[in-house]
Amino acid sequence: MLTSRTAARSLETAEIGPAIEGRSLWADARIRFFRNKAAVAGLIVLIFVALFALFGSHLTPWSNEEVDWSVLGNVEEAGRPSIATRHFFGTDALGRDLFARTVQGTQISLMVGLIGAMIAVVVGTIYGATAGYYGDRVDNIMMRIVDVLMSVPYMFVLILLLVVFGRSVLLLFVGIGLISWLDMARIARGQTLSIKNKEFVEAAHAIGVRPATIIRRHIVPNLLGVVIVYATLLVPNMIIYESFISFLGLGVQEPLTSWGALISDGASQMQYGTLWMLGFPLFFFVITLFAFFFVGDGLRDALDPKDR
Amino acid sequence: MALFEINDLSVQFDTNDGTVSAVNGVSFDVNEGDTLAIVGESGSGKSQTAFATIGLLARNGHSTGSVKWDGKEILNLPEGQLNKIRSSEIAMIFQDPMTSLNPYLKVSAQMEEVLTLHRGMSRREARAECVRMLDAVRIPDAAARITMYPHEFSGGMRQRIMIAMSLLCRPRLIIADEPTTALDVTVQAQIMDLLRDIRYEFNTAMILITHDLGIVAGSCERTMVMYGGRIMERGTTAEIFAAPTHPYTLGLLDAVPRLDRREDVLPTIPGEPPDMLRAVTGCPFEPRCPLAFERCISVVPPLERLGETRVRACHRNPEEVVR
Amino acid sequence: MLTFIIKRLAVAIPTLLILVIFSYLIMYAAPGGPFDSERQLPPQVMANLMAKYGLDQPLIVQIARYVWNVVVHFDFGPSFIYKDQTVNDIIRQGFPVTLTYGFWSFVVATSVGMSLGILAAIYHNSWLDYLAVGISVGAQVLPNFVMAPILVLTFTLWLGWLPGGGWQGGQWQYVIMPVIALSTSFMASISRLTRSSMLEVLNANYIRTARAKGLPMRRVIFRHALKPALLPVISYLGPAFVGMITGSVVIDIYFSTGGIGIFFVNSAINRDYSVIMGITILTGALTVLFNLVVDILYAWIDPKIRY
Repeated sequence: MLTSRTAARSLETAEIGPAIEGRSLWADARIRFFRNKAAVAGLIVLIFVALFALFGSHLTPWSNEEVDWSVLGNVEEAGRPSIATRHFFGTDALGRDLFARTVQGTQISLMVGLIGAMIAVVVGTIYGATAGYYGDRVDNIMMRIVDVLMSVPYMFVLILLLVVFGRSVLLLFVGIGLISWLDMARIARGQTLSIKNKEFVEAAHAIGVRPATIIRRHIVPNLLGVVIVYATLLVPNMIIYESFISFLGLGVQEPLTSWGALISDGASQMQYGTLWMLGFPLFFFVITLFAFFFVGDGLRDALDPKDR
Repeated sequence: MALFEINDLSVQFDTNDGTVSAVNGVSFDVNEGDTLAIVGESGSGKSQTAFATIGLLARNGHSTGSVKWDGKEILNLPEGQLNKIRSSEIAMIFQDPMTSLNPYLKVSAQMEEVLTLHRGMSRREARAECVRMLDAVRIPDAAARITMYPHEFSGGMRQRIMIAMSLLCRPRLIIADEPTTALDVTVQAQIMDLLRDIRYEFNTAMILITHDLGIVAGSCERTMVMYGGRIMERGTTAEIFAAPTHPYTLGLLDAVPRLDRREDVLPTIPGEPPDMLRAVTGCPFEPRCPLAFERCISVVPPLERLGETRVRACHRNPEEVVR
Repeated sequence: MLTFIIKRLAVAIPTLLILVIFSYLIMYAAPGGPFDSERQLPPQVMANLMAKYGLDQPLIVQIARYVWNVVVHFDFGPSFIYKDQTVNDIIRQGFPVTLTYGFWSFVVATSVGMSLGILAAIYHNSWLDYLAVGISVGAQVLPNFVMAPILVLTFTLWLGWLPGGGWQGGQWQYVIMPVIALSTSFMASISRLTRSSMLEVLNANYIRTARAKGLPMRRVIFRHALKPALLPVISYLGPAFVGMITGSVVIDIYFSTGGIGIFFVNSAINRDYSVIMGITILTGALTVLFNLVVDILYAWIDPKIRY
């Protein structure tokens, strides 16, 4: 049933004929992506979460650090989620509005995810593309270094750094980004090796284009598909890393918060029956991760050259 | 009664872009000791025809029609019953010897399991028989090299191993799917010679699937030409070569390089093989056919008998099909 | 094979040395010494303390001595905070605990993950496949620090079946939740990885050859498809191991299991440098060792790797 319908659709598009020939790879990928329901749903969730992070603070009269004294001391009852008190998500154990705190935590978590992934992608791609492009000895040494670095328990080193140099959001961002560039470097190198032998690269080489320019103009743009897919899948991992560190209490500092810190707070209050403290941050954490994974999978299916 | 009898075989694949009809109503038979070549471009459905007969289609493929082995219907039999026929009575040789042998298992392990499974031999007996067979396909120092991994052999040697493996149970039919395509030209000749010798020695029937008419002439008594999943023409190899009655066969023959003619540019058949996703309303070859006319677009030409041994599917009369 | 192992060791040992030196340098560069406290110590006492821990020596000597002690005597020195305990004592105390639940988590993650992935691939597009994919996709967003509270909420607070924490010498009811919390997300990754690589292998030409030989499906899968399908999974085991070691921190905090994770976090917060370093180096060494085992396993399965 389903197949006959898709068959009919592809026959319709087949009749257009020449229009298909002119379709670029990116347009093709976009069509594939939007055909994937899970990926589109993921994208919608991400847009919703992003809007929540950007404009959520306008929806509540409370700020993320303000303590509601009327609630304090009786959080289990008065701090429940309620429209009347304007605490839509309830309050935390200190009587602070959880909605405002979740908005603010979402901002931090998304930012860490995006910036961390960006650092990992930029460093990893340049490193991997360079190693792959030069090949031989350079490649050997560079990838051996990656091998060596891979066997370091990074999270411990990052915790070490955070403890020694004091907690700072900047160090957190950079540190988390630097944890993950290694995989990216490997992937970029593998792709570069296969692109390197394509005719257009040889042609550029033959007319005397400098290696740095070849990497920038020819190799990196062709890596883009893989890089985008990997970056999308990296973001949730970055968010998990940040949440992990914040869960340990080594991440962002009060009054700032993040999903990990909120989940940690909520989890520690569980036995008092104030489940909303765990539930709301956890909900946002889980749906965002799901959304990123689905979008990443959708992008991979859409951009994977194996499928074409 | 023919040994292997295929009637009205069709194969479909379910893909993300719709259902693909790879084979449409193909019929042929093979007798004991017979040799049949199935010829066509890639995508003509020739390999899928062969895979379908012994249930080796990919997961998303399904087949309809009838396949009789020794008078017994075997199409779409459960895997367990097909396994009794596979290799012990119908053996296959595949196109790419680089990827068709398991790179993670020693050659000995891959060969021995055929005999321990189908013939109930012990490992020792099986090993001895495998070495004998490798000797027969002229692998030097077989007793020592049998414990090596496939990647330690050259392409030609690997294809010899495939052939030896297919012969282990003395099957009555070998289906060779492009056995020489992935090999160098000189090695191709050796492999074809080997196949011919082996066939005489064991009196095995053979279906040779190829796109190379050059190797058909010397090795097969009968030839079947396929295009777009349909039979275009079938007859004895001598007839087909001497007097093709289908424009496609004609084109294929013209594309074979010949020493007795001086040619600067080798003739080709213009156009591309059909898009199997499109439902065909007429003759699949029509878009590329130099002799096509209106009827070819709308009506599928039926297979018609032409003399004792021959069938063809073309709206033109045989006399009209000339260079 | 031996030369292969030696080659790998030749990489592993410098890696560890670099890790040791790097972490020592970070410590050295740290603002504020280990004996800075609210109460200002008299200079003489301070100097004595520094001398006792060898901190008055030049940096290079300090490092050399530290490396020497670690490598030759397996001695990580005294703790800076717990005056009567050495780092070795702390490791001896916490390590067996971490090893116990870590081992079981690893076993659960690999065995369940692989079986689920293989089944999903064999019964591709059946309800079993969808179930396995569903489980692994769901479990992917449940890292240990999310799993832990959910488990406690369910099995301790609601059902009251299991104790919410403690270790009690590793009795089973105290081990279950740590193991599940730690293994879930890795189980998910392993199952996804196994499924996709098994699907790819099942489409390989040599699998068609195996089927054409008339082998029963069981044999095709276990003898012909399993090895190549597990190769990508094996290379994931290294990172999974690191992840589980790191995850032990959460487990120890949340379940009060008393593994090295809790010592790591406490000493990190208290700036107990020798303990932090000891644990970092120990886990680093374990990781390197584990990766070595994985490499050897990989080379053993894949005949195309020449050593």
